[in-house]
Amino acid sequence: MKSKLSRFSIPYVIWMALFTVAPIIMVVVYAFSSAEGGFTLDNFAQMGTYAVVFTRSFKLAIIATIICLLIGYPVSYMMSKEGERFQRLAMVLIMLPMWMNFLLRTYAWMSILENNGLLNQFFQHIGLIDLYNRIFGTNIEFFRMMNTQGAVVLGMVYNYLPFMILPIYSVIVKLDRSLIEAARDLGANTFHVFRKVILPLSLPGVLSGITMVFVPSVSTFAISKMLGGGTELLLGDLIEQQFLGNAYNPQLGAAISLVMMVIVVVCMVVMNRFGEGEEQAVML
Amino acid sequence: MKKNNSAGNRLFMALVFLFLYAPIFLLIVFSFNKGNSNTVWTGFSLDWYKSLFQNRIIMQSVYTTLLVSLLATIIATIAGTFAAIGFYSLRRRQRNVLTTINNIPMMNADIVTGVAMCLFFVAFFGGWKTFATWFNGIQSVIELPVRLTLGFGTLLIAHVAFNIPYVLLSVGPKLRQMDKNLVDAAQDLGCTWMQAFWKVILPEIKPGILSGALTAFTMSVDDFIISYFTAGSSSSTLAMTIYGMTKKRVTPEINAISTLLFVTVLILLAITNIREARQEQRALRSQSMPAAAQSGDRPPIRSAAARRLPKLGGAVAVAALLIGTVLAVGRNAGQRVVNVCSWGEYIDTDLIDQFEEETGILVNYQTVESNEALYSLLKSGAGDYDIIVPSDYMISQLIEEGMLEKLDYEKIPNFSLVDDRFKNLSYDPENEYTVPYAWGTMGIIYNTAMVDEPITSWDAMFDTQYAGNVLMFRNSRDAMATALLKLGYSLNTTDEGELREAFQLLADAKRQGVYQSFVMDEIFQKLEGGNAAIGAYYAGDYLTMLDNNEDLAFVIPEEGTNWFVDAMCMLKDAPHQEEAHEWINFIASTDASLANMDYIWYASPNKKALEEYPAYYEELYEEPLDPEIYEIMAASQETLDQCELYLALPRETRMLYNDLWTKLGIG
Repeated sequence: MKSKLSRFSIPYVIWMALFTVAPIIMVVVYAFSSAEGGFTLDNFAQMGTYAVVFTRSFKLAIIATIICLLIGYPVSYMMSKEGERFQRLAMVLIMLPMWMNFLLRTYAWMSILENNGLLNQFFQHIGLIDLYNRIFGTNIEFFRMMNTQGAVVLGMVYNYLPFMILPIYSVIVKLDRSLIEAARDLGANTFHVFRKVILPLSLPGVLSGITMVFVPSVSTFAISKMLGGGTELLLGDLIEQQFLGNAYNPQLGAAISLVMMVIVVVCMVVMNRFGEGEEQAVML
Repeated sequence: MKKNNSAGNRLFMALVFLFLYAPIFLLIVFSFNKGNSNTVWTGFSLDWYKSLFQNRIIMQSVYTTLLVSLLATIIATIAGTFAAIGFYSLRRRQRNVLTTINNIPMMNADIVTGVAMCLFFVAFFGGWKTFATWFNGIQSVIELPVRLTLGFGTLLIAHVAFNIPYVLLSVGPKLRQMDKNLVDAAQDLGCTWMQAFWKVILPEIKPGILSGALTAFTMSVDDFIISYFTAGSSSSTLAMTIYGMTKKRVTPEINAISTLLFVTVLILLAITNIREARQEQRALRSQSMPAAAQSGDRPPIRSAAARRLPKLGGAVAVAALLIGTVLAVGRNAGQRVVNVCSWGEYIDTDLIDQFEEETGILVNYQTVESNEALYSLLKSGAGDYDIIVPSDYMISQLIEEGMLEKLDYEKIPNFSLVDDRFKNLSYDPENEYTVPYAWGTMGIIYNTAMVDEPITSWDAMFDTQYAGNVLMFRNSRDAMATALLKLGYSLNTTDEGELREAFQLLADAKRQGVYQSFVMDEIFQKLEGGNAAIGAYYAGDYLTMLDNNEDLAFVIPEEGTNWFVDAMCMLKDAPHQEEAHEWINFIASTDASLANMDYIWYASPNKKALEEYPAYYEELYEEPLDPEIYEIMAASQETLDQCELYLALPRETRMLYNDLWTKLGIG
């Protein structure tokens, strides 16, 4: 019986070979070839030049991930303590923004953060900018928020926060309540219950949340282009530029993608050591 | 104490939701705005909703998005479910290996998946071309298509590929929760394995399938990056359309369509949630036994008819969708089409409608941000066009690389209307490949209210006095040109020392914070909105901006500048050559040239149109055309004599440009 059912996996194995494995092999092949087609290591020899971009991307992505975690964990935890109806509503509210395309939501942030944008208009209106000028003796007309790294991080946090909340929440809400009661009965206070029981048990959710925020953050190109002004490239911009952008060089682009992929995989493997053996949290 | 705490919790959550929803409310509110701004409220109107339904590009992309998401979800759900059952029945070792491979698309950055798919498809197309040519050569019974391109098919494959893992991920756990003995029992009772699947397994894992399908659909609709790399140019999802627009101006029509989608989903989710909540309550009430409550996932036993109903509904929906697709494909199959790629805001869109009405040829009009980006699109196989409108230097590069097709000037009688000044230019000396589209000059645009004295020199682009207020080109050729002009070097220099000096100038200015951002068409809204004071751009676009902000001024700096010609060319082996010639001839006509000049504010090369434009303007607007404006639009020969046309650069110099340009971005 079992072996018969296992036939069902054959079409998908072929599919994966074609559309998952083969494309990745293409990336590897490209990364090791020159524009003329021969084998070369040149693409990697240049990688040192791009170290700055790697550091910048990883820095911003890590900051965004930490902020997401700092906001997302408490929200998930608080949600799980609310009534069922509230939880249902909150889940819908968290998923709903995904239906408004993320580019559009990011674009909305542009009109909020611009020098003449809504936020600066608001500050002007309530006299905050005048106040600031009086206190610091400066002469600014607006707070510069657009085209900064801060704006890029904000864009990442904004877009990927739901990816942090959902897996954490889905783990916390399934926690065995009797464990918490048992801990209480054995004399643990609220803090201890959280630290010794809830936190360790919710770790798989945290790990999958971190992955789901960090990976898209480190490789984004639309957000950094829109909110960061394009003066400081991130990894995603760099890669996009080599394929569809202003400096056509797919071999270099493939090499950068490959290096990024390897670093990310190593990070994930190291991180998942902490949560080894845990089932991966289902995201939605 | 406890109450206090929970109030604090709720406040925190309210703030988070405010953060999540503030931009969305902003978009919704401004979809009802009268004006086309996202920051200034000018009054309530429903105009954008009305014009939305006439905007073919947006409606087409919404259709593509929904179609690809639905099809991908259906395929991925079915394939993923079978695959999950297959995986479940494998031995543990095998299963683990396959699951790891399955997880790759989810764990990998979208951009890597997109890029990998793109490379794979293009390599496959290359191989296919060789095969099909060979195959067509040895027999004449079956004619295989030689040329495959990225398009709806590849987009769908990519979506299916990243959707299946989500289905697998949510079906897998349900299978593992299932009581293994059930399947054996069913078989012992005489079920074939097919029956066991339908009667035992499927009902058990149904919730997993549904949630997998929902996830897949959401991911498909929200995806941008993978689509961007795999859709090619002929099909565009809503996200891609929006991305194209964020580069210049997002029309509030996009706000309107998003609001509509958002509200639809809101209603759907509300209905399903209310129904689910009711069902669960009912289930809890009717199954008071604790054991039953535990397996709450299992739906209560219903009548056979009630069970079949959703299935029937699903089947009808699928059938309707398939018929719709076939009809849509069928409708387009007989239709004559031409694929045109040009710059943003570079055509009077009425001309497209007019052409379609006159000839019955459907115009698939795409835009791209710069010559360099166009080149990448063509090279990577993502750009599937018949006609492109690149600038001078890019044209000679494309000719040199054999990427253009010679035109048949017999079919373009209107070419004779082109002023001789714009024929046989350096990029196409024999005039075999091109018909000029528009020409103009590059210069500095600045906001007179934001600078103290008039700007006269390229120095302004590097002046720390304007730190944080300057917008620089986001393409290597133009950006380097500003620096070369300031230094007094030729725009076409191949001297590495001069180029490095120019690069250093840009890099220093960037380090000192002179540049607010590197832009292409984003410059429209940044300068119009007074968010930056100075930016280098093209004359015609300045005149468009002037319409929206009267404080803006344009200057051709004293060091001289670049003048450019953008010309229509046909790509090698373009599939719609007949239609392409008709389009070129139509655009080159005097009437079309006049309409275009009036709309895009770039000068046409059509001699008669150039002469007649001031009169045309006067008749249309009942006021004379300001000669100063006309001079900016169509610079006099004296001005042009002080300007330099870009020439094609040798390969080594181009590599140096790419290299320096990437370095500038890193810096």
